[in-house]
Amino acid sequence: MTTLSALFTILIFPAGLMLILIGMLYEWIDRKLVARLQNRIGPRWFQPFADIVKLFAKEQIRPGIANLLLFFGLPVMALSGALTAALYVPLMGFAPAHSFPGDLIVTIYLLSLLTMCIGLAGWNTASRFSLVGATRALTQMFAYEAPFLLALLGPALAAASWQVSEINTYAASHWMILTQPVGFIIALIGLMGKLELPPFDSPEAETEIVAGALTEYSGRGLAIFNLGKSVELIVGLTLIASFYLGGVAGILPFLIKTIVLLLVMAVLQSVLTRLRIDQTVGIWWRFGAILVLAQILVMIIWKGWLS
Amino acid sequence: MNTEQLLTQAEDLLATWSKESTHPDPMRLDVVISADDLRAATQDLHTARWGYLSAITGLDLGIEAGQLEVLYHFCSGPAITTLRVRQPRDGEAVVPSIADIIPPASFFERELQEMLGFTITGLNNNNRLFLPDDWPEGVYPMRAEFTKDQGAPVPGRHADEMPDEGLINGNTFVVPIGPQHPALKEPGHFEFTVDGEIVTGARMRLGYAHRGIEKAAEARNWNQNLYLFERVCGICSHTHAMAYSMGVEKLAQVEVPARAQAIRELVAGLERVHSHLLWLGVAAHEAGFDTLFMYSWRDRETVMNLLEQITGNRVNYSANVLGGVKCEIGPEQAKAVKEGLSYLEGRIRHYLEVVTTDVMFLNRTRGIGTITFDEAVKFGLLGPTARASGLVRDVRVEAPYGAYLMFPVSAVTETNGDLEARFVVRLKELLVSCATMNNLVDNLPEGPLSVRVPRKIPAGETISRMEAPRGELLYYIKSNGGESPARIHVRTPSLCNWVSVLEKAVGSQLADVPMLIAGMDPCFSCNDRMVTVARPGDRQTWSWEQLRQHGIEYYK
Amino acid sequence: MKIGTMLKDVLESFFKKPATQIYPFEKVNTAERFRGKLVYNPSVCTGCNLCTKDCPSNAIELVTLDRAAKRFVLKYHMDRCVYCGQCVASCKFKCMNMSNEDWELAAIKKEAFEVYYGNDADVATFLEKLTHPDPVPGDGAVKE
Repeated sequence: MTTLSALFTILIFPAGLMLILIGMLYEWIDRKLVARLQNRIGPRWFQPFADIVKLFAKEQIRPGIANLLLFFGLPVMALSGALTAALYVPLMGFAPAHSFPGDLIVTIYLLSLLTMCIGLAGWNTASRFSLVGATRALTQMFAYEAPFLLALLGPALAAASWQVSEINTYAASHWMILTQPVGFIIALIGLMGKLELPPFDSPEAETEIVAGALTEYSGRGLAIFNLGKSVELIVGLTLIASFYLGGVAGILPFLIKTIVLLLVMAVLQSVLTRLRIDQTVGIWWRFGAILVLAQILVMIIWKGWLS
Repeated sequence: MNTEQLLTQAEDLLATWSKESTHPDPMRLDVVISADDLRAATQDLHTARWGYLSAITGLDLGIEAGQLEVLYHFCSGPAITTLRVRQPRDGEAVVPSIADIIPPASFFERELQEMLGFTITGLNNNNRLFLPDDWPEGVYPMRAEFTKDQGAPVPGRHADEMPDEGLINGNTFVVPIGPQHPALKEPGHFEFTVDGEIVTGARMRLGYAHRGIEKAAEARNWNQNLYLFERVCGICSHTHAMAYSMGVEKLAQVEVPARAQAIRELVAGLERVHSHLLWLGVAAHEAGFDTLFMYSWRDRETVMNLLEQITGNRVNYSANVLGGVKCEIGPEQAKAVKEGLSYLEGRIRHYLEVVTTDVMFLNRTRGIGTITFDEAVKFGLLGPTARASGLVRDVRVEAPYGAYLMFPVSAVTETNGDLEARFVVRLKELLVSCATMNNLVDNLPEGPLSVRVPRKIPAGETISRMEAPRGELLYYIKSNGGESPARIHVRTPSLCNWVSVLEKAVGSQLADVPMLIAGMDPCFSCNDRMVTVARPGDRQTWSWEQLRQHGIEYYK
Repeated sequence: MKIGTMLKDVLESFFKKPATQIYPFEKVNTAERFRGKLVYNPSVCTGCNLCTKDCPSNAIELVTLDRAAKRFVLKYHMDRCVYCGQCVASCKFKCMNMSNEDWELAAIKKEAFEVYYGNDADVATFLEKLTHPDPVPGDGAVKE
């Protein structure tokens, strides 16, 4: 790719600015779906955008105890981590902007960077609620990270590659949701854990610790964190759709598959109660990890038996 | 045992200590004792398991009489025994604490100390309960000579002194919940010392919504007070109004027509449905189950529309007048009630199923916050919280009043005592209520809606007890024969249930604490709040007027 | 033990109308007995002042312009009123009732909350007298 078209891809379309806008669109779809499932009307289409604009206009209150560099730098790092992760996945059905062997691990690492930034931000702002929230966020990360990675590893093993674009191509001819159903379920629920959606929203349990790790953030910092979360939503959905639902070859399959996934996630969100942090860790390490390991074992044996 | 036997038993138990025993009312026994004999008398009643301490009322008998009086109300079934202790006004009014014999007494005694200026010896917690920390010393609001300007805040003190322990003190730190917190419907202050996720200590502060209603009542006439007391609480407002009206009607010796009493019971039943559905939603929201919250509140709209059709308002129904009710139930309203109730019954059964079978919800409620039967008795619990532990404390069953004699309800109990049991008890109670209301609407007695009550109520004292959705509500009303009451004391049920939250919070996880608070269905009680505005380098305490002025100036 | 017990409710909601009303574009009709703004009929009033005495929030002031000729002006403080309906119950002559249509009473200025009821001529006279320093005659129960 030439420098100009690379810059265009990174900054405007399909990553960068377009990604942020699509991220807000998906956040709206999620909120609207959950609202309709709860027999409510839900927000209008520009609500997430309005929220971000409002937050940018508000005063940013800095806690006296917080380290300035971390306080202002962490939101930016989180958002950039999420945006960079988007470069390696087939966003909007287009080929990834940049692709090299092993970029699956980099993508997952960059997504975790966002959670770690949230945890650090909570520790940095050091209020009673944010400390508890940060601890919970990091504990939860230890819980779901391994099963989530393993669940994405399954298709990688099947495609015999660590490169997202190659797995995407392989998946186009093999619908891995049929061959690895357990992996699909773990991946989807792992994504809900990663995004701190109910039932895994213990780190930002509003009724217990106000807003969790981000309690003391306001104004710009909070807006940037929220943007990071929306981008993470899209990247996660793209990964799962491309691996398990037969690859994303164009804009239309991308939209359809990700929105179907979002619908399933919305139903799960509304029907399940929040888990306590110890219950989250218990479930993930007992059921999540074991199930997905079993799945991988089956995969390896089957592949070995085939060849 | 019937009431008479109960009262005779009490009289015998207290014979050694009693200076004077009277029966002001077939259901009541008044025993005057001296402060020195108080503990012995209480111990006798407690050992004989005669009833439970329901409330402690403090009275100012007046500047001329020169005395203060404390009334200890013990209730067993329909019988009420009151121990009366008098102390001089000027100088030390000393009364020993009975909180070591009966733990729930500590809250009542702290209220006595700060409101009337008693000195309670042996009480290990002398912190302010309802009044803010910058209330001047030596000023007692419930005394006869108190005027508004005496309550100006002491400059330089914070209204709400939180300990300045620093965030991390060794391995523990303090997580504050409230006064402003998404978990609380109304302001209250809790401090939980946590070690990781386990709570190791709990402290509580009330009084953020204290409005001085009991004092205000002394300046208004009997009709006006009806509406003042209705607004003590928004969710159990009808029960407050009913308790007040019944007390006043008893003093005036007026017989309320049967139709009015039945309509009162109907509105009370609908209010119970409204209150428990509201609570279900809030408790589900605390657990993180927002869907149940949305659906139960959607169904609550049905009962609120019913109440609007019958009484004219969705909250604060004002259905009562002194002497009866204002609202008639015609065939149209009756039909609407029956339709509404049949829809609600189906939904309540569905919620009962959800609450008892949903695995993820049970993970948050089963086995959490378990209070055994003995603990329930020791803490003096009331209402559905007590009934969930197997302790039957239901005034509608033990001491039926009004139309509950014609249309009785049965008490619903569970034995587990955990959070799940509290959900089950409340929902099953609603089913019982719905059945009773259906019966009531079909068999409404004929008659007038109200009788005339004189404007001046004859002198006397009365105690009315009702079952609010949260537990037993006790009203002590004293009249001196005028157009305004001499003293009205309200003991709301939530005040008795707080001890259970504090005790159970220690040792449980932080994530369970909002559920524990929600599990006892708190309805916070009352005070006038001072606000502190802190700007860097300049802390001032402003009164409400000053704050309002500041707001007006700022937004100009 | 089930998981997702509310699944049926949740999926059914896709096919049901949402429970939210988009107020102010959709307005719900209030019940007939709804207690909204107070309405006063001066023609049957005898000036007994029971409504004034029994109002919990001193929202009613009854000004007697001429007791014998039964000319009264009722000053109603809409912002003090708690819409309890005690005045309606206290009045023996049925002068008062609460409207079920007038309940959207928000206003930007305080003046909107002081409502004067009475015959037009009486009200005009009363308002005239307010702006002039002459005291109001008769045993007007004007409380402050």
